[in-house]
Amino acid sequence: MLDTPIVHFDNVVKKFGSFTAVEKADFQIARGEFLAIMGSSGCGKTTTLRMLAGLEDPTEGNILLDGEKINGKPTWERDTPMVWQSLALFPFLTVQENVEFSLKMRKVPKGQRRERARKWLDRLGILEFADRNISQLSGGQRQRVALARSLVTEPKILLLDEPLSALDAHLKVRMQSVLSGLQKDLGITFVYVTHSMSEAFSMADRVVIMSRGKIEQIGTPEEIYREPRNRFVADFLGSSNVFDGSLKSSGNEVWQIETEHSSFTLKAPSEVQKTDGSPVAFAVSSENMSLAAIGTPWAGNSIEATVVGGEFAGASATVFLETDQGQELKVQKGHDELKTVDIRAGQKLLVHWLPEHCHVLPGE
Amino acid sequence: MNTRPSLFSLTFSLPLLIWQLAFFLFPLAFLVALSFWTVRNFQMQPNFDTVNWVKIYSRSVFWDAYFRTLLLASFSAALISLAAFPASYAISFKLGENAKRWMIFVLIIPFFTSYLVRVYSLQVFLSDAGILNAFLGYLGLGPYSMLNNSFGTLTGYATLCLPLVILLQVFSLNFVNRDLVEAAHNMRCGRLRTVLEVIIPSAKAGLVIAGLFAFILSFGDFVSPLYLGGGNPPTLSIMITDITKSGQQWPRAAVVALTMIATLLTVAFAAIKFAYREAGK
Repeated sequence: MLDTPIVHFDNVVKKFGSFTAVEKADFQIARGEFLAIMGSSGCGKTTTLRMLAGLEDPTEGNILLDGEKINGKPTWERDTPMVWQSLALFPFLTVQENVEFSLKMRKVPKGQRRERARKWLDRLGILEFADRNISQLSGGQRQRVALARSLVTEPKILLLDEPLSALDAHLKVRMQSVLSGLQKDLGITFVYVTHSMSEAFSMADRVVIMSRGKIEQIGTPEEIYREPRNRFVADFLGSSNVFDGSLKSSGNEVWQIETEHSSFTLKAPSEVQKTDGSPVAFAVSSENMSLAAIGTPWAGNSIEATVVGGEFAGASATVFLETDQGQELKVQKGHDELKTVDIRAGQKLLVHWLPEHCHVLPGE
Repeated sequence: MNTRPSLFSLTFSLPLLIWQLAFFLFPLAFLVALSFWTVRNFQMQPNFDTVNWVKIYSRSVFWDAYFRTLLLASFSAALISLAAFPASYAISFKLGENAKRWMIFVLIIPFFTSYLVRVYSLQVFLSDAGILNAFLGYLGLGPYSMLNNSFGTLTGYATLCLPLVILLQVFSLNFVNRDLVEAAHNMRCGRLRTVLEVIIPSAKAGLVIAGLFAFILSFGDFVSPLYLGGGNPPTLSIMITDITKSGQQWPRAAVVALTMIATLLTVAFAAIKFAYREAGK
């Protein structure tokens, strides 16, 4: 029983009329995992979560919870508590009554209900507000009430639909640590839907990236960051430069790629097989690119580009450049490293990087 | 914080203020004064005599009418609210946007015709040889007495209030956050229970005010208790006309009217206080 994944999406499709909201979602969620589903609005992430909660029925495929098929089972027969983006706290009940609500629905006796609700309020540090009205609480306190209300039944899985999006940046970071701390202490599965990369990557064990109803990549934050599977993911992360070309020669050690700019060398990827002449796309992280004055001798890959502008906020600076062929490039460097080059707009510079910093996009 | 109203807002609220003073507050003050006047030889005389208050309040006929009117209006508010709720719920929660708009339009149509005309036409339905009894006769039932009794009165009240109560309920239900409904379902609250535990408490203010409207309209109504209820025993509004007709007793009618206004103010105040009461400290 413990070996089966807690959730299995088995080729799940969801259509609203002729619009496909979720296309062939096929993945598993392990017991005790913190899984984030990330994508921009309308990508199908919330629909995926709502299907798991029983608020939408899949059009095709099966959803298994704890090995049991749950399609068609109404949400009130499932144990899949959810935290809403709007929090959906009941304004006509006190904090305590809100937390007791699902226990009341489960016919837990009054005394026990009260005790369990108070235990959770205490655990989340809001016991002193137990008899207050929801409208008297701050955003962060409401967040904690919503969490207590969902966790009071001690479920095996908790679903969260962008619960932090209404908070200010400072509170958001604090709630992130509350959430990941809770998840580790309780050892239960969290499925967390968000459009924010920083939320997903800082809390989740694994991240699912979705776009237009399709799952683009599933992996640990590190895997996704280091090895984006395709152009969408690389662009979505926003920190990579993607080059298109064709494979000129594929040796065991290095590949030569012919692009519209010039020929680039990259370290032969072990997991991707391609024949000579086939199209190849590869990404180079903006942190792995460096800038130098034109004419500087350089043995690795290099390309000439014109500075368009820059962002100099924070610990590192981002320089935006454009090649003669019109491709935009982004280079992220520490302020010290940029001191040696002239980065005024309109200045032509040499952008260079090492062959081992090229990552072939296997999905392209 | 500056709480003094600006000249701008005063200018715009002035017409309303003048209207209220001229047609509500001034007549009300006059009514109070009138209730202390006396009538001699069918002539009203300005006076300060509590005789009207003593006379009216010492008659059991008045108190019978008072409690009958109060009971009928309360029944009307409760029954109409209960009857309206399933319809309002269905319109707000089950219909699509287009159908919803049509239903709201349909509910406004009854107001095209005068209420008096609608009540008169109801006589055709409710009388002993009327349409309803004829139909029930085919089924081997009746005849039932539906006119000139409380049933007739309440039917008239429903004609007056039901469309308005449904409209008010629909508007308050439309404002119920749908996330709350889903959240309740998600916490094992079934459909019917969600209506009772979440939807009604969420829409409480609007539902109470809809019921309050039914109460106010029924309590002061003159048409239904007279033309469908038969007028005997009288409600307070019928009693007012009776008193004025017999011996020009306007001052005593003023006592009845003031008692009605005091009752409505008390009920309205209590209802609104209840409607907006919040949970917790």
